Amino acid sequence: MKHASIKAALRTAVWLAVLAAAAALFLPKYWLFLITAVFIVGVALQSLGIVTGRTGMISLCQMSFAGVGAWVTGYLNLYEVPGGLVVWVLLGGLAAVPVGIVIGLPALRLRGINLAIVTLGFAAAFDTILATITYPGQTTFTQVVRPALFESDKGYFLFIMLVYGLIAVALEFLSRSRLGASWLAVRHSERAAAAQGISIPMAKLSAFAISAFISGISGGLLAGYLGTLVAENFNMMQSLALFAVATMVGAHFTLGAIAGGLMITLFPELLRRIGLPQDVGNVFFALGAVQALSTGETISETWARLGSKLMPARLKGQKRSTATTTLAAPAVHAKGTALEVSGLTVRYANVVALDKVELSVPSRTVVGLIGPNGAGKSTTIDAITGFLPRYEGSVRLDGRPLEGLSATARARAGVRRSWQTTRIAPELRVGEYIRLAAGGIKPGEIEAVLEWFDCPSPETLIATVDAGTRRLIDVAGVVASRPPVLLLDEPAAGQSYAEALKLGERIAAIPEKFGSAVLLIEHDMDLVRRACSAITVFDFGRKIAHGAPDAVLGSVIVQKAYMGVELEEQAA
Amino acid sequence: MNSLLTSAVAGLSAGGAYAILGVCAIFNYRLVAVVNFTGAAIGAAGTFVMVALYEAGFPLAVDVVAGVAAGALAATLIGLVMTTWFAGSSASTKAAVTAALLVGIIAVGLRLTGGQHPHNFPEIVAGSAFRLAGVEVTRASVLTIAISVLFTVLTEMFLARTRMGLQLRALSQRPMAAELIGIRVKLLALCVWAVMGAVTSFALMVIAPLRSPDFMSISLLVVPALAAALIGAFTSFRAALVGGLMIGVIEGLASGLDAFSQYRGAIPFVVILAVLLWSQRGARWDEAR
Amino acid sequence: MKRLSTLALIAGAACLDFGVAGTALAAPSCDGAIQLGSVSTITGPVDFSDGPKGAKAVFDQINEAGGINGCKIEYTMADDKGDPQVAAQAARDLIDNKNVVALGGGASLLDCAVNAGTYKRNDVMSVQGVGVDPMCFNAPTIAPVNVGPYTLTTAMLDYASKELKDEKLCTFFIVLGGTQEAYAQAVKRWEEMSGKKIHLVDMTLPLQGDLTPYLIKARDAGCDAVLTNQVEPGVVQMINTADAQKIEGIDWVFLASGYTEGVAKALPNTKQPVYLGTEWEPYTETNEANADWMATMEKAGLPKTAFSQGGYLAAKVLADMIASMDGPVTRERLGAKLLEGKPMKYSIAGSEYVFGDAAKHAPMQATKVMALSEGKWVPKSSGWYVLPAAN
Repeated sequence: MKHASIKAALRTAVWLAVLAAAAALFLPKYWLFLITAVFIVGVALQSLGIVTGRTGMISLCQMSFAGVGAWVTGYLNLYEVPGGLVVWVLLGGLAAVPVGIVIGLPALRLRGINLAIVTLGFAAAFDTILATITYPGQTTFTQVVRPALFESDKGYFLFIMLVYGLIAVALEFLSRSRLGASWLAVRHSERAAAAQGISIPMAKLSAFAISAFISGISGGLLAGYLGTLVAENFNMMQSLALFAVATMVGAHFTLGAIAGGLMITLFPELLRRIGLPQDVGNVFFALGAVQALSTGETISETWARLGSKLMPARLKGQKRSTATTTLAAPAVHAKGTALEVSGLTVRYANVVALDKVELSVPSRTVVGLIGPNGAGKSTTIDAITGFLPRYEGSVRLDGRPLEGLSATARARAGVRRSWQTTRIAPELRVGEYIRLAAGGIKPGEIEAVLEWFDCPSPETLIATVDAGTRRLIDVAGVVASRPPVLLLDEPAAGQSYAEALKLGERIAAIPEKFGSAVLLIEHDMDLVRRACSAITVFDFGRKIAHGAPDAVLGSVIVQKAYMGVELEEQAA
Repeated sequence: MNSLLTSAVAGLSAGGAYAILGVCAIFNYRLVAVVNFTGAAIGAAGTFVMVALYEAGFPLAVDVVAGVAAGALAATLIGLVMTTWFAGSSASTKAAVTAALLVGIIAVGLRLTGGQHPHNFPEIVAGSAFRLAGVEVTRASVLTIAISVLFTVLTEMFLARTRMGLQLRALSQRPMAAELIGIRVKLLALCVWAVMGAVTSFALMVIAPLRSPDFMSISLLVVPALAAALIGAFTSFRAALVGGLMIGVIEGLASGLDAFSQYRGAIPFVVILAVLLWSQRGARWDEAR
Repeated sequence: MKRLSTLALIAGAACLDFGVAGTALAAPSCDGAIQLGSVSTITGPVDFSDGPKGAKAVFDQINEAGGINGCKIEYTMADDKGDPQVAAQAARDLIDNKNVVALGGGASLLDCAVNAGTYKRNDVMSVQGVGVDPMCFNAPTIAPVNVGPYTLTTAMLDYASKELKDEKLCTFFIVLGGTQEAYAQAVKRWEEMSGKKIHLVDMTLPLQGDLTPYLIKARDAGCDAVLTNQVEPGVVQMINTADAQKIEGIDWVFLASGYTEGVAKALPNTKQPVYLGTEWEPYTETNEANADWMATMEKAGLPKTAFSQGGYLAAKVLADMIASMDGPVTRERLGAKLLEGKPMKYSIAGSEYVFGDAAKHAPMQATKVMALSEGKWVPKSSGWYVLPAAN
């Protein structure tokens, strides 16, 4: 994985260096001036890409963060703080971080649309405050001083390219790190992310903090570029327009950020040359964003898709290496009862979904949980893993009660689950996902687990994988983390009969190979019979049977409750 | 203390505007599941059609009707965009669409209405209703508050008591399912948009003479309006009504206190944030995803 | 100054030397058309295009008459959309690509604030048509032909106190990017001039939003006169709100930004006493002073607005400056000519226009006061209200 990050980062760096050299050599002064703005806007767009593109939180106050950075840079310049623009810009970025975190705080509770409103409100509030503060040094004609090496227009262009390159490379590493993957996971499904032990507040706040930092830097760079600034540089309309462009181009891609910067900077130029009024630009950005949202594909993604069509050979090259890998030794967990559920009762308003059910999973065994639809199986898993606001009764892991722990904390304590519907972020690669699900796993181990489950190679993009395989990858992820207890929610749905049988054998081998205990929810009785050493049956929120598979499946009460429904299902 | 009451009452007229727009925003969200950033801009469009006709010399009654119709039409157009391309999208995507559209609508609106050049806004209801704490409470602000109360009550009754209301609720929660049981989803949704556009337009016409009536500032009334809706958690019309009035009153109070008036613009934001963090403190997994 | 006069001397000597040739004596010469331009806010939040259009009308007329000593003028109007980034690009385009010899006739929300540094670095002089932001009056290479909101604030406070006999003067300002200090300075200047104290200064008037709380505040503070820097729609809103609140006995004093026929027409019935100070000869008056401007606008088919007066006047200044030059019209030579600071008198303005080499310029110090009466603006007196020279 490290290798891939370095390769991608290098590629980005080389491309930017070539671009910078070509521009510096061949472009006239005026165009250099314009292109400089492209990359400053590009930095701002990348910052928006982190919150909105990667983490899926709508931020409509990105330019306010930039304003903080710009104003701080201005003050540092005015007081001639040693270190010059580089230090001022960095400090400006840092000053924006607490602001970003404060705005991020409501994001912990308010998701999506609510957050959009809060950020827009902040942009409006920030406008009224910034509007009253003259840019430091403006009245005394003190321009923000550029670094001595990069004084000229050409020099400053190279300086901006350097900064842009550094940020782009850093983001390349970040996006392939566990933190970057956790942002995508949060964007795709907060529940799934929490179930992987990812701290949602951490992911969201870090996204806002880093985004504010980069945005603050873009403000500082703009200060050095124009020498002095006005509040209009950072007002609400600018933030809204930036959002529209970021949505259109896909600002979380390096290419997208540059394309967006080109549009914002060169559109006014184009309009000026063809004699169209300047406000046409905003209409175009609005329509472009709506178009991108309606197709669900940003301009960068379109280009990437078209580009990959031109180079089909590269996709085919992703066959797994034939070198055999071996699984590490199984994890050693406490002996005895791994998971003990007693007296679990869950109510939704007046409906009792679970009524004082008992369940126990001894360590290093596979226990099946079956029952007709609506029996309360998934509710049980939700309760155990901490996704229900309240329940009665107790859930113990290795004898320790889990009550009062959040979903994230339970996952970290060692209760892991898979999902009925696939919740893997499609932008991730298979290997990245496994690393996200099983933090701290070694690269060789990732290969081994994937091979054991017959999953695609680590470099495969999840988006290119079919639904059945995604569920397998989901299972592989939780298994790879080797927790004391695994809860698998219908892992075989969508698999062919042969595949399901194979999966059953593998699940049966999980305790031996990985050291985990498994609670398996499944409708496929052959799979259950094959995988489980004991079975618990629920019906209408009550436990109606428990015991060895053949005995339980043969009992009349289970036949009546369970198979009756099965027959109906077949009839339907 | 008395001067505080004075400033608070002085904020009522702004509060009335926020309340009606906030209630409309919830109406929009509960019935067609769109958080609409263009709400006030749609109303602005209707209002400026009214003014254009008035300035062209048509009688006031004709202008108002045409303006309301234009607002309904503008809303329907946006509704058409939303139902045609974004019927199955997530709430966030829809909100992003309207936020992006707002950028374009403001640009077009400013162009068509000639920037900040003033227009002669006719007073649809003139004069003052009564005097409270030394402040004339205008008929216009009483009317806006009355419209928002009336709209709240009517909508609540309509949703709870009528068959169509039930269908609409089904529509916003499960559009696919609603379509399957034979509800004409698209038509109903467009009707909702049209009603929203008409009500917003009329409300803005009433308050426009006392606002800075240029297209952008009217469009940006959406910020306090959505804040009011947020106080109602996008479900409770009544809470939004109260929330809108509250934001107006707090703004009025802030401009009366010299110590705060510098940061007056930020105060509603802080209040909203506080209200939200308190009211949503329990909610964790509110979206099934 | 000394350096400049030396330059002039050398130039004079050169004239003498080549004077023998005859016809070229004291006349500008050019290589192709003379490039001029301006950055204005044309689209976006406001439309100030009347300014540069007025300037263009003047240049078109000159070109039609054969140019200045045969030199045609090419005038580029750039739009900044009220967006600083676009404004910076537009300025660089004019300087680097169009190679303008000077700027003039522009009317923008933020051109000066954004570009003053660029103009200084490139030694480009700007005869701003309508200077709005404080940097227009605070930069070495910009000298607007208008009085500007800050000088007008001082002048109108003086007027309210002296002519309207108001005791308690209150000011409410909308403060946008960097104007806070400039307005505070303007109020201070009045206090120093008159030896009186301002009764109330409120810098928190919202650009959008309800004004009722502010008017109540003014009423309860017992203000005799309220001066604000409201722009057009805000003026209408303010007077409407005052009427709605049945406020009486306050003189409402505005700046030139409220001086449009639109405002007057939007307030046909108000009984509130409304005054404002103009930048130039009131544009609504048909008289001798306005005659040439009016003829120019009519010929170009442009509406007669205050902004077009600014563009017109700035263009006149530039054209006359160029006409008075001797030899090639270049950025350096025209700049030097402007920095000489020769006073120029035009009937449309109350003060003489001087560019000069000061660190900042606010040459215009005279206004005419207008009052609102039955939907029309009526001059309060025929003379100019002139501020004593700035300290």
